[in-house]
This record gives sequence, C-alpha cells and structure tokens, in this order.
Amino acid sequence: MRRDQRSVFAFTGSSFFILSVVVMMDAGLFVYLLIAMVAIIPLSTDPSQKIPGSRLGCWPLSRGELWILRMASPWVNPMTWVLATLVIAVGAGRMTIGLWLFVAAIVVGGLAVSSIPKPLEHAVLRRVPGFPGIFGQLIRKDLRQILSILDVYLAGLLSGFTAVVRLSGIDIPSDGLMVLTALVVLALSSYTLSLFALDVPAGLSRYRLLPLRGWQSLVSKDLSVLLVSVPLLVPLQPVPGIGATLVALSIGHRSSIGTPRMQSPWRFSRGVSFFPLGLVHAIGIVSASAMISHHGTLLLVPCLAGWGWSIVHYGKAIERGAAWLDAHPSGRASSGTA
Amino acid sequence: MISCQAVRRAFGDFTAVDNLTFEVARGAICSLLGPNGAGKSTTIRVLTGLLPLTGGEAQVGGHDVEAELTALRRCIGVVPDDLGLFDSLTVAEHLSLTAAVHGLDARTARRRSEQLLDALDLERATDKFISACSHGMRKKTALAIALLPNPRVLFLDEPFEGVDPVTSRTICNLLQQAAERETTILLTTHSLALAQSIATQFVVMLDGRLVWNAMATEVDGSLEQQYFDLVGPIAAREVDWLGWRRY
Repeated sequence: MRRDQRSVFAFTGSSFFILSVVVMMDAGLFVYLLIAMVAIIPLSTDPSQKIPGSRLGCWPLSRGELWILRMASPWVNPMTWVLATLVIAVGAGRMTIGLWLFVAAIVVGGLAVSSIPKPLEHAVLRRVPGFPGIFGQLIRKDLRQILSILDVYLAGLLSGFTAVVRLSGIDIPSDGLMVLTALVVLALSSYTLSLFALDVPAGLSRYRLLPLRGWQSLVSKDLSVLLVSVPLLVPLQPVPGIGATLVALSIGHRSSIGTPRMQSPWRFSRGVSFFPLGLVHAIGIVSASAMISHHGTLLLVPCLAGWGWSIVHYGKAIERGAAWLDAHPSGRASSGTA
Repeated sequence: MISCQAVRRAFGDFTAVDNLTFEVARGAICSLLGPNGAGKSTTIRVLTGLLPLTGGEAQVGGHDVEAELTALRRCIGVVPDDLGLFDSLTVAEHLSLTAAVHGLDARTARRRSEQLLDALDLERATDKFISACSHGMRKKTALAIALLPNPRVLFLDEPFEGVDPVTSRTICNLLQQAAERETTILLTTHSLALAQSIATQFVVMLDGRLVWNAMATEVDGSLEQQYFDLVGPIAAREVDWLGWRRY
C-alpha cells in the first residue's frame, strides 16, 4: 500500500502535473485521465513481484494462495479506491461511455501487462539497439532505463493521440500544437531533473570509475533523452520540442548531479520541489517551445549554446565530485560496512 | 605504487579512516584485513577516487587520488563494495562498455573478454541482465570488468565473498599471475586462509586505524593466530534459547 501510495502520488511533484492543473484547470480533463491511467498501471502490478524472490520463496504460501493474493491485491488496496473516486469525481457527467470503457480497458491491460514475466520484459529491453562509439553501451543502458519509467508512456500517449487526431484530418492550430509540444516535453521533464536516479547506488560507483570526463557522462545521458523525445515530438512541432528538451536538460543538470535521488522502475520520475527549480524548469520549457514556435528555428541556437555551457559547467562539477559523492548513499553506507 | 600518508576520511562526527599510513610496492599483493566496520572498504573507496579525502595524501600509480582522477581511473581496475554494476546491462554489455571506454580495439576486447568469461566460468551468463544474475555471478562480472583493461593497480573489495571454491582458486591464480607481471593488488578479505595463500603483505585495520603492517615473510606461524591476537579474542557468549533440545 505504501509503495503504491508513493507511485500514485509521485506525479504530484512533477512539473507536468502542476502546470496542467494551474494552466488548464477544468479543460485538463483529458490530461488528468491520462495521468490516472498511467498511474493505475503500477497499482495493478503483481504484489508478489515487489517482494524479493528469495524472501517470497521462504514464505509458506502455496501457488494457489499466491494467485489469490495477486487477484485480490488491487481491490483491497485503499489506493485503488482513492484513485477510482478521484476519476469518477472528475469525470462524472463529462465522460462518455466510450471513455469509461477505455479507462476500464487500460486497467485490465495494466493487469495483463503486469503478468508479463521478467524474462519477457528482459527480452523486450534486449531489443534496444546498441550504438557505436564509447557511449554506445551507456546510451543503450539509459534507453532501457528511460523505457522503464512511466513518464515516457504518458508523453507517448499524448503524442500518439495527437498523431491519431492529425492523421484523421482534424486540423490542430499552431498554438495548440505548441502547447501539446510543451506538454510532451514537460511529461519527460522530471526525468531530466534526476538523470542518474536509476543508477543509484551501484551505477554511480561505476560512473565514478569509468575513465570518462564529466561532460562525456552528461552527453551520453542527454543523447539518450533526445533519442526518446525526438520520435515523440515528430507528430507535434519537432524543432520547438528539441529546443525545449535542451532547455529542460540544461536546467536539470544542476539537480541531477547535486542531489541524485533513488528511483524505482515502473514509477513516475520523482520530481524536485516545484518552487523554485520546478517552476524555473517549467517556465524554461514552455518559453523555449513558444519562442521557437513563434519566432523561428534560429532560436534553437541559443538553446544549443545554453546546453553546451551546462554540459561543460556541470561536467566539471562531476569531476570535482564532492557534492555528488557526499550525497551518494553507498558513500555513507561504506562507513558502516567497511 | 600505492602510497597513503596520514589518510583520513570522516562522515560527519564519525571517522571511518584515521591517520592511515602505508605503502604497497609494485607487483605486491596486499591483503587489507580487519573486522566489519574497521574502515577497509572506505580505504578502498578513498584510494580509487570514489570518496574524497578528509585529510592526508594518497597516490596510486604515481597519480594523486584527488587531483588526477581521470588519469587514476585509466590505470586502475576496481571491484567496489557495491560492485558498481548497471542492472539494465548484460554481462557481455558490461565488458563491451569497459573495453570501449578504455580504448581497447575490437579484436583485443573480444579475445580478452572470451578468456575472462571462460576463466571465471561466466560463459553461460554472458547474455543475462545483471538484475537476473546471482550474487556470485555479479561478483565475477565486476572482477572481469576490473581485469579487462589489464590495469597497473587492482583494488578488490571482498573478491572471494559469494564465489564458489573453484572460482576462488581460479581468482587466486589470476591475481598471482598478474602480480608476477608487476600488477599491484590491494584486496580486502575475511578469509584469512586465502589471504595467507596469496598475499605478500598484510595490513590490519581496527576502528579506522592501522594496527599491523607486515610482509608475509615476517609472519611467524599462522596468520589466523596473529590476527586474533591483534583484533581480540573470540567471544564465547551463550544464547540460552538457541537449539531444539533443552538442556
């Protein structure tokens, strides 16, 4: 229950959610629905998968009892009812039967997807291609990590629905597309504030041991984010989207290396406090998206320059290391385990 | 090759390593011994640049561990206490990553990887994700990564813990081969028998301080007895409820 509570409310700290509520209010029903759908997926996962295999194996539970536990778990979990009440309260009178059926299908789909055994999940992640060069395996690792957080699926749903609408011949005005572009980047933005969160704790040690300069570690991380975001931006406004992503990365480097947080897969990224960094981050993303959309591609140049400066500056900070290391949980732990 | 001068590392009010001074010569195998919490892992983290020093100076392979981090990383291989592995990469991908960042050409990387996978009995686990590997496999993967670039200095934190006896012996042989070819090795272990079988130098730490630094040739009799004399007697306390039959 506590794990599910964390996963469901993780998005309340994200710039995407806060900005959606502040800017769109009632008009944001569709966005809230998307968030609820994506949040409900980890809720419907098998509770037994959250327990270490060696520990679960020691518990005196038969196969049948484990199955009953799995089936009953979402329904005895108060978080399910809290979430369902919220969805009904927000959607009552404004959602069609078709939309309700769609939500139900997503919940059932979440249950089905959560039944996918680990080897199959690994088989899917194994298909992430390798890239040449010294960053090749690092980028592959980062792509797998990004694909295991829910933010990307929220952005994917927004992008996918926009693509469907545009392909069906409905014309979306340029300003509408710009807003959707900013929303897709905002959906991915919490991850850019904690680039190393899925590497904590052991992966951070490896980064510290690799003979790479600080800027190289950051470039490999940022390339992975761009490789995910660019395809999602294709149905929207790609150039303003890339500019906004570069701004998100540039601002995000500070918290990524200053306060690395631990992140669990199949959850929303844990954001930073909305004021002031989250707010600055969100304003930067929306401004970059709007400016490039209205004033032309040339404004991508200052975004690139800012990103380059951020890479060099925070790369040096990684090499100096102190803040990064002192925040390193295993660094602290080593005092007790030595 | 490894030089510590009055090294100190503190975490707030707690001093994990205090005034540590010792040297390890080129080609030596130094076994860092001590009870849990003595400061062994912290010493390794400090010497490999994973933790900054609070005081003192340390050099590894002629490089200052604080001022020349990138040069230091190029000349060392490390098995840290947390193993430093990425859950979302396979064993083979870890080796490929290490080869790429150390600038090994593809042919050399393939040849070395195949030999290490064979020697450490990891061939069947090559395509397994680290998150799906057993603790022993992870340990062996971390060791393979440390050995792959053929570093001048090796730091191994508990390399034998969780590893089967045959592989432990293989690791000992590999380390002895490397040391004969002038690789310097600093390792921590709780296995005094293994330490005595391969180490040429012993450093014993207690509560963050060095309490004994001796060459293997200076050890008179059993290392185990020497260690117990330094660290303290075995506790003979009783847990009166333990066991099925009351007596």
